Parts: sequence; C-alpha cells; structure tokens
Amino acid sequence: MPAIFPRWTNNVPIVIGLLAPLVGAGLIFAVWYWFSPYYTDVGYRPEQPVPYSHKLHAGEMGIDCRYCHNTVEKAAHAAIPPTGTCMNCHELVKADSPRLALVRESHAADMPVPWVRVHQLPDYAFFNHSPHLAAGVGCVSCHGRVDQMAVVEMKQPLSMGWCLDCHRDPKPNLRPLDQVTNMNWDPAETPYDPDRDANRKRKVNPPTHCSGCHR
Amino acid sequence: MTLTSNRPARAAAPLLALAAVMAATGGCRGSRSEDPPVHLQQNMDFQERGDAQEYNGFFADGRVMRKPPQGTVAVGFLKDDDHLYRGRNLDGTLADALPPSMKLDEKLLNRGEARYNIYCAPCHGDTGHGDGPVTRRGGGFSVQPANLHMARLLPESLGYYFHVATNGKGKMRGYKAQIPVEDRWAIAAWVRTLQVSHTAKASDIPAGNAPSPSAAAPTDTKKGAAQ
Repeated sequence: MPAIFPRWTNNVPIVIGLLAPLVGAGLIFAVWYWFSPYYTDVGYRPEQPVPYSHKLHAGEMGIDCRYCHNTVEKAAHAAIPPTGTCMNCHELVKADSPRLALVRESHAADMPVPWVRVHQLPDYAFFNHSPHLAAGVGCVSCHGRVDQMAVVEMKQPLSMGWCLDCHRDPKPNLRPLDQVTNMNWDPAETPYDPDRDANRKRKVNPPTHCSGCHR
Repeated sequence: MTLTSNRPARAAAPLLALAAVMAATGGCRGSRSEDPPVHLQQNMDFQERGDAQEYNGFFADGRVMRKPPQGTVAVGFLKDDDHLYRGRNLDGTLADALPPSMKLDEKLLNRGEARYNIYCAPCHGDTGHGDGPVTRRGGGFSVQPANLHMARLLPESLGYYFHVATNGKGKMRGYKAQIPVEDRWAIAAWVRTLQVSHTAKASDIPAGNAPSPSAAAPTDTKKGAAQ
C-alpha cells in the first residue's frame, strides 16, 4: 500500500515555520504603515472650487489667520469665512477676475462657496479650538506652514496617538499667547518657558483621559 | 520541532520582510494626493448630526446652520442698548464715549491694538496711515483706504469710528459680522490712541506714572511712534 502523503510533504512544517513569521511580520508592517493616518491623511490636498492661496494672503500680505477664521479663539470650530469676508477686499481688488467668479456668484446668491474640507476629525472626537489657542498652541503646530501653501494640505495625521503625544507633554508646542497665529515664531530663536510666563494665568494641564475628547 | 531547528532563520525573516516592504514603499507617507483619505475602518467617523458649517440635505439650501426667520430675535440678542450696539446717544447723535458697560484701561487698549492689527491694519496700516500691506500688495484698490490721521477724521467722535467699523463707509464694508461689539469699541479706542499719539508732544505725558484713563493714551505714544 502506497503512502498517503508523498515524501516532500515532510518539508511542509519547515516551510510553514519559515514563512509564517515572514507573512505575520509583513501583515503587521502593512497595517502599521498603510492603515496609519500618517499614510492615509497626511498630504491630502483637495482641489478647491476657488484657487484661494494662503501663501499670497497669509504669507506675502501677512493677513492674520483670525481676519478670516475669526471664531477660532472663542468657538470649537474655526469658521470658514462667509463670502462677505472675501468681498471686504474683493469688491475693490481684482473685482473682475475670472478666478473669483464663483466668489461673486456666491455673494450675489447668498449661498456658500462649496469649499472642500481638508482637516476632518472623526465625529466622536470633540475637538475645540479655543482652549488650544488659550493655552498658546500655535496654528502651525497642527496645520503646518499654511502661509507657505498655495494649496492647503494636511501636514499632521491628527490621529489619537499624535494628539496624545502633545497632551502628555505639551511644553514643546507652547508659545507666548500673543504669538499663536505667528507662523514665523521660532522656539529655537526665542527660547520660551511657559512656566515663567507672567501672562499665563494657570498651568497648561491637558486631559489624557478618554472623556477629555470622547464625550 | 521546526521551532527550535530554524531559530536563526526565524529571527531574520521579519527583518528581511520589513526591509523588502520598506524598500518597496519608501517615501509613500505624506505623499500628496487630491483624493480624500481612505479610512477602511469607518467606525462612527461620520455621524448623522449637524456640525458647524456642514452640509445637510434636509434643507433645500443644504445649510445645516439656519438663519433666524425674518423679524425674529433670539432670546438675549435684542441689542436694545443704542450706545453699545449702534454707538448713538438717546437723541440719535453719535456718542463720543465708550458705552457705560466698558471701562477705558490698559487692557482695553491692548485688546484694541491687537484687534486693530488683525482686522484693520491689513488695509489702514499699523499706524493708521492707510498704507497697510494689503493696500500696498493687494493688486490695487480702486478706492484707497482712508488715512486715519487726515484732518477730516480727527474731530470725529469715538462713536463715529465704532459706527464705521460696524456698518462700513463708502466702499468699506461693515465688520459687525466679523468683530464682536466690545472689540469694535476697543478698536475705536485704539484708533483714537493712534491719532492722539501722532500729534502728541513730550509735554503731554503726565508727570505721575499712575495708570489712569487719561494716562493710557500718552503711554501708548511710544508704541505709536516706534512703528
């Protein structure tokens, strides 16, 4: 009677033993690398309906972030400005530019410009801009050098691990309270210790418990 | 069995795999894309609720944030204080003082300076000469922003500046939607400070250095002159 399994099957356990860790490691790496927001989110730069350039407005002309995103210090949501804010200047400047046609239409029709959202947190994370600004976290820490972006893109993963990195050790990301919107402020140039800042009323103590963000 | 006999190979395998995959995908993180982020595990990333400025198909215009119906006033938003909200006295003339609910002090002027620099300085300039970076760089205004030191403006009341900041003037659009009401008063106070500092003399500085409303303006002269 012949053997049920041919002789080469004796090697199967060895081959499996060799390949299994390889495949396992590959899987772990693949999830760690490709499923991470560092890969899925960072670098997202959607094409916007109006080719608005932060590089020109915030960079070259130095308009403060809060001129347009004026709710950021008081509200959870940093408002996308209403078209009226664009028209503050563009009724007078480049009033006939075809690139601004959509802005003029939006203003005339009292309908918002359909901007594409770039930074989007999951709905179960309750992020609030105002305490971050009150604590002296600069815009640049999370949004990157927006003043150098002709097209806004995501620079940070906005993942939970990334948030917690700062919540556990906020000091490196704190700056003087009046420098929050200053994209050029450089901690290497002006060493800053939040503990010795007389303008700070209380110590920055960000929550690291679940309900700090997931309410 | 194989677990013990292949120990060296087992140890090397993950490293080899890692090296291979890293070589194949090097530089992929953070690469630019116009496609929306793919999240395989959606969980409850997008929930059926109206967040600020989101789209909502329930309403014909798609806006989740609703405007109040015409002719209605939300509770607490009546704005019946003519001095505070419209800068006017009871007889309808423009008031030349801060509303009674606000106090002229260093804090207010600092606030006014900061807000002025955000909302006004782009066009009117840090010092109010009508030569802000946007005026100089912004592709040419068809009407020049006003020089706040011109003779016509100097005798105007404080309420006038509040009124213009609120409702605009000529080609300047009003800022009442963009700047909260107290901040507009603070800005008006700062505009007055800029004007006073522009013509101030050394003799205007009081001998004492006690911070009082009358001392606030000359104290800021240094700032105005340095700019």
